[in-house]
Amino acid sequence: MKKIIITTAMALLLSSSLLANAKEKAQLSSDMREMLLAVELIQKGGFYSKPQMMKEGVKKLKAKLTILESADASKYLPDDKKEADKFANKRAKMIEMYADDLVVSIDANNLDDALEDYTQIIRQCTSCHIRIRSY
Amino acid sequence: MDRRNFLRVVGATGALVAISPSTISGRLYASNGLYESYERVQLLNADGVAIKLADLKKETNYIFQYPYIGTPTMLLDLEDSTAKDVRLKSDDGEEYIWKGGVGKDRTVVAYSAICSHQLAHPTPDDSFLQYVQKDKKTMACDHGGVVVCSSHLSSFEAKEGCKNISGPASAPLAAVVLEIADDDTIYAVGVLGGDKFHEYFKAYKPEFKKYYGNARQAKKKVTKSATMVELTQYTKEIIQY
Repeated sequence: MKKIIITTAMALLLSSSLLANAKEKAQLSSDMREMLLAVELIQKGGFYSKPQMMKEGVKKLKAKLTILESADASKYLPDDKKEADKFANKRAKMIEMYADDLVVSIDANNLDDALEDYTQIIRQCTSCHIRIRSY
Repeated sequence: MDRRNFLRVVGATGALVAISPSTISGRLYASNGLYESYERVQLLNADGVAIKLADLKKETNYIFQYPYIGTPTMLLDLEDSTAKDVRLKSDDGEEYIWKGGVGKDRTVVAYSAICSHQLAHPTPDDSFLQYVQKDKKTMACDHGGVVVCSSHLSSFEAKEGCKNISGPASAPLAAVVLEIADDDTIYAVGVLGGDKFHEYFKAYKPEFKKYYGNARQAKKKVTKSATMVELTQYTKEIIQY
């Protein structure tokens, strides 16, 4: 009887942990999709010369970044890439830095710098994806 | 060209050389490959005292800013003699020859601490790029004695001009050329190889605002002297995989 109880408890613990893990991954996928939409909005604002749209994109991007920065990256990284948690955190911080500078560049009417900031945001995203997905 | 214009050109060239003698060496080295001479800068410790070769700890990461205020350079005493006359190739395929280390046993080397792949570099907050001692292994390389960039796991052979040996980096790190004076003090005099300064200055503008006040300050050339400290003093966190 004791064995059955322990086994059941262990199984429950394991399944709830797996469920939490799956939930975190689903949340991450959802966040990533929203970040992609935010980046697309910045790009669209750039193409249509709509600074406000670009700023809206930055705001949406930064809202999701906070989640990435505060989360323990090793929890959402694939098992064989868990060691890259500090790298992923650093990329998130860099994206935030360029996003902030993008707003400063827009306010200064410096579209060249804003474009460079946008390019760097994309670069940080792909830099992480290259590392995590082993391209 | 008439006589008057000819004299003007000769005069202007003479004046330029008188103001900046390194113009001559820069051009001479340039004919030998990707060499650019910069200010001759003496390396000092944090107390402002000139560093001598004998002061260097073996296999320890040292950092100083050269040739610009915002461009970090690493200096290493590798303990073992380096290779000589290593033939290297920059990103754009141009060949150059790295002569080897300096000092009695040719053990001291310096490299631009900006990764040739995606420009990772040490900052006061963290460093993904550093030398890994001979007896250590990393995910980036199955042996030590290499400079490793833990961003995308590239590695560079420190005793062979920081030739890229593994990972996505497709070019060596640029070498910083050192001169040793008669009293064993150390000077940086130029940069050899495909440096990444242009891309670096373009990409990290916001970072320069944080660390140097503005990008213009970071782009100023270092003159006369540079303070060199151990990487552990320069940065809060060393990240190595």
